[in-house]
Amino acid sequence: MIVQSRSSRIIRTVVGWTVVAIFAFPLYYWLTVAFKEGNEIFNWPPKVWSFSPTVKNFEEVFGISLGFDFGTKQEVLPGGGDFRMGPRLWDSIVIAVFSTALAVSIATLAGYALSRMNFRGRHHFVAWVLSTRMMPPVAVAIPVFFIYKDIALLDTYTGVILIHALMNLPLAVLLMKSFFDDIPKEIDESALVDGASRWLIFRRIVLPMVKGGMSATAVLCFIFSWTEFLFVLTLTQTGLKTVPVVSSTFVTSTGTAWGNMAALGAAAMIPAFIFIMLVQKHLVRGLTLGSVKQ
Amino acid sequence: MATVEYHKVGKSFGPVEVLHNLSLDIERGSFVVLLGASGCGKTTLLRMTAGLETISAGEIKIDGKVVNNVHPRDRDIAMVFQNYALYPTMKVRDNIGFSLEVAKKSKAEINQRVEEAAKVLNLSELLDRKPSELSGGQRQRVAMGRAMVRDAKVFLFDEPLSNLDAKLRAHMRVEIRQLHDRLKATTVYVTHDQIEAMTMADKIVLMKDGNIVQEGSPDDLYDRPNCRYVAEFIGTPQINFLSGEIISDGGQAQFRADGTDLPLVEGYAAHAGRKVTCGVRPNDVRVDPDGHIKGRLQIAEKTGADIQFHLDIDGSEFVAVAPRATFAPVGEEIAFSMSAEKMHIFDEASGERIEV
Repeated sequence: MIVQSRSSRIIRTVVGWTVVAIFAFPLYYWLTVAFKEGNEIFNWPPKVWSFSPTVKNFEEVFGISLGFDFGTKQEVLPGGGDFRMGPRLWDSIVIAVFSTALAVSIATLAGYALSRMNFRGRHHFVAWVLSTRMMPPVAVAIPVFFIYKDIALLDTYTGVILIHALMNLPLAVLLMKSFFDDIPKEIDESALVDGASRWLIFRRIVLPMVKGGMSATAVLCFIFSWTEFLFVLTLTQTGLKTVPVVSSTFVTSTGTAWGNMAALGAAAMIPAFIFIMLVQKHLVRGLTLGSVKQ
Repeated sequence: MATVEYHKVGKSFGPVEVLHNLSLDIERGSFVVLLGASGCGKTTLLRMTAGLETISAGEIKIDGKVVNNVHPRDRDIAMVFQNYALYPTMKVRDNIGFSLEVAKKSKAEINQRVEEAAKVLNLSELLDRKPSELSGGQRQRVAMGRAMVRDAKVFLFDEPLSNLDAKLRAHMRVEIRQLHDRLKATTVYVTHDQIEAMTMADKIVLMKDGNIVQEGSPDDLYDRPNCRYVAEFIGTPQINFLSGEIISDGGQAQFRADGTDLPLVEGYAAHAGRKVTCGVRPNDVRVDPDGHIKGRLQIAEKTGADIQFHLDIDGSEFVAVAPRATFAPVGEEIAFSMSAEKMHIFDEASGERIEV
């Protein structure tokens, strides 16, 4: 074990906590805004620790009454104040979950094929997959809009789920390919000699070994879909909207509802947080441990 | 149990030809070792037998049937890989029974055969563990068990012992050979370790650069190497080489090198005047004050059972093995003698053995 001097240990601790603070403080401040009254938000100097918390912002955003009242008075909200963001949060969840599932399923199959099967032009195919990632989304937004209009996918869950999955696929495929590449080929070969078919090998042997990789890919896809703005903005009208897009409705002609916006943002963190918590237990190293002698 | 025949087999990876026109017959139930330095094509040949590599030229027959285009899973072979290739997410029990499960055998039969194999391989207590919870030797035995439960026609081993420590390797050598003797299964075993080859094989096939250099029993290869390469590859400590020429001294053939004359067996007289290399195995010489080979002792290595003298004979190194009781001070000149039958004479230019 490396013996550290006391001073270097202190420096490391201080630097570590400073970095944490730099990243965590804006998040904390955003959360406090969500629990603040309208005028308290603009207090100077800002009240970081002591303020009178309220759930009013959440009540307004979701059009519900949480039943506890901190004795605050009703005020007139910007833009009339009828936000009703509950269904929008639901839209976000549906789109993120299904587009992630779709992207990860396709990427897993494609990644296996690209890693294990020999076919003409495989390397070109990989390069092509990667190249689609380099295309700026804005370049396809308008053509996709017209295509969607013609095939009636505009303003539908299916449409947004498809485009989100599509945007995620290149990275997901390459990621999954690299996870499959990490599994020694001998394992497939051994199963092949044991009499197993390709599909059986994939399902019984290889798939359980890339669970961690699938989880990592799923997290990336989910976060992308959760925060995606451009396609939801262009491809939806009134039927559905995700959180990033509707956040802009808090900016109204009569003012910006900062408290409500913060409340929605805070609420939007929860599903993403739950998803990542569910998936992260699979994000463990060493799934291939013990299979082959390194 | 089956025969394996290779008929003019060739293999190229793009422009690189790794196996050339190779023919070999493996008898039913025999234990054949493909031996050679790394890159000689032995593993490729094994993988072609398993169906994991395509066959570029010629044909491979298993039990008389051409298998060139037969899928690995239909060849009915069992293979043990160098890195074991266990299925990490399955328990030992399921690892061993996987091939039976694939073959849709009944649960009871799978269980019974897995237990049997586990008993033979001393794995009974480990059946419910995952491969990650096993030691190297145990993993190796699981890999063997996976091959054993199948009634495969041919067993293929790809350097299965190279990842084990020396003691375990020696132990597993015996176990594999015993297993073969019990199952009487046709076995092709790839290794670069000549000790493994010598101890286990019925027949050794020594390969070099994609060609078979010599095939035969371990004794054949040791006693009658057909070229310098084989002589050098087989046997530890390595064979000594002296260069010189054959002379005929009144009908008696002699090997002459730098003033040393060593008598040769009859028949070499016909090759008088030829430049040759004489191979002498370190174990074939004995300390003899009247001996013809004289060298200055550089270092004496004690190996326990005996002692290895490293000598300097006119600038070239010569190793001789002597009983442990032999004592000689470093720097001293020691003389050795040997019987003429134990001398291997190779042509200096081609390296081929000169037969008489």
